[in-house]
Amino acid sequence: MNHIELREQTCNDAAQTPPAIRLNGVAKTFTNGNQTIEVLNNVNLTVAPQEIVGLIGASGAGKSTLLNIISGILKPDRGQVYICGAASEEFNDWGSVSYMFQDDRLLPWRSAIRNVEFALEAGSIAKKDRARRALQALQLVELEGFEEAFPYQLSGGMRSRVALARSLVTEPRILLMDEPFSRLDAQTRALMHKELLRVYRLKHMTVVFVTHDVAEATLLADQVAVLSPRPGTIREVVNITPARPRDITQPEVTSYMQRLRALI
Amino acid sequence: MATNSSDGIDTKSLAQPLSRRLKLGLIGQRLALAAVVIGIWWLSSLSVPHYILPGPRRVWDALHLIAGNGDLWNNLAITLWRVAVGFVVAALVGLPFGIVLGANKHAGEFFEPVIPVLNTVSSAIWAIFAIIWFGISNATTIFVVFMTAMPLIITNVWQGTRTVNADFIELAKVLRMPHWKVMTKIYLPTILPYFFSGARLAFGFGWRVSLVAETIGSSSGVGYRLRQAADLIRTDQVFAWTLTLVIMMATIEIGMMKPLENYLFRWKKDAATQ
Repeated sequence: MNHIELREQTCNDAAQTPPAIRLNGVAKTFTNGNQTIEVLNNVNLTVAPQEIVGLIGASGAGKSTLLNIISGILKPDRGQVYICGAASEEFNDWGSVSYMFQDDRLLPWRSAIRNVEFALEAGSIAKKDRARRALQALQLVELEGFEEAFPYQLSGGMRSRVALARSLVTEPRILLMDEPFSRLDAQTRALMHKELLRVYRLKHMTVVFVTHDVAEATLLADQVAVLSPRPGTIREVVNITPARPRDITQPEVTSYMQRLRALI
Repeated sequence: MATNSSDGIDTKSLAQPLSRRLKLGLIGQRLALAAVVIGIWWLSSLSVPHYILPGPRRVWDALHLIAGNGDLWNNLAITLWRVAVGFVVAALVGLPFGIVLGANKHAGEFFEPVIPVLNTVSSAIWAIFAIIWFGISNATTIFVVFMTAMPLIITNVWQGTRTVNADFIELAKVLRMPHWKVMTKIYLPTILPYFFSGARLAFGFGWRVSLVAETIGSSSGVGYRLRQAADLIRTDQVFAWTLTLVIMMATIEIGMMKPLENYLFRWKKDAATQ
């Protein structure tokens, strides 16, 4: 409990804390043999605590690369990443940053609950507490009763919920998502959007997600950052003002979508 | 969601009696096959001297004899113990070696030629080396089992390590999981099916070569008894020993390996629907 309160003081209060994420002149170049590809150049972005930010852009614009840089698993060539005010390489509470992949990435040999527990196994949390927290996370995504099911026994939507539970079980302050629902059918994807917003209302974390789907970005985000094609740089940040839940049939929402499409 | 789970129950309740019927049919077929084999055996034995081909009755009596005086159990236990030691040491060496060779590209490239070379050396040659090095002792048989089983386990584990999903490694990396946990939580479960099939193969081979080793380099064990019976032209006892070995291997396979495999790999679709 103490732990969580402490977190709220340091980086989950929108009023007087540093931004959850701040990117300052981030650049990244990949070399493949003698070919160099400039993927990102001078990316500047600020994400306030408890904000939902969507990253969109043409494919190959470096959206996933940018997310990997934010998550700390990839180092930028130039520029600086700040997480909760701390320089990325000095930040040491990565347990409070979750990452949700494009695919559900469930370990096939583990049951649903054991897959959720996996996220807690990097540290030294007691087995009993892991199981309890994993069960709570599964309840949070409304998968109670499926704890012992193996991934092959679950539908695509359910697997996606398990993956979401795994990202949430660590009680993250920041949730990073790389096209997390892109492999689901349209109906299930809409359900997962609802699910995500429901969890967001309960947990109030900062969310940064990558998508190529303008509708998804418009429906979920407070702000949408548009990346220009290679080398990727932030072309514009669009504030999406209508209250959630939004519907793509709302004229306001449609006009935002048109605007974003024109920007990509 | 609900339709999914009710589907699962429906197919299960339908499949249950069907599979039981199939199972009963299968047992009947197996019994019929055994009867045919024993019948042919019995018929052939009628026209041949018993020291060439003893009849089922004679073999049964010989089996009764060696089981009665404890000979059977003692030697079976000795052989089983030697195979087990050789096999366990092979597994203990083969598993880490296979993982290292699979996970480390340089080590893999460097040692790659060793495995085929080891595999091509006949077990009989290992047996001869073992006699030179260890004489008539337990170590001879254990060494031969080890040298036969180890390359098989290494090869399989090595292959398994190559199938480790890079996406899962990335997941562990994002979670800041320490390297040794990645080994035990991702590498090991991925390799386990490969290790298991390698171990199964190695155990079967180990059994077979242990007999070869015991015939030439031992003064106890099933292999030694087999040669002794052959030397004394007690063909009925040769048959009796052979029969016990076959039954024992079948028991281990059906009674231990298969259930263990079904339990360990219940997360695989086909294993679970069996």
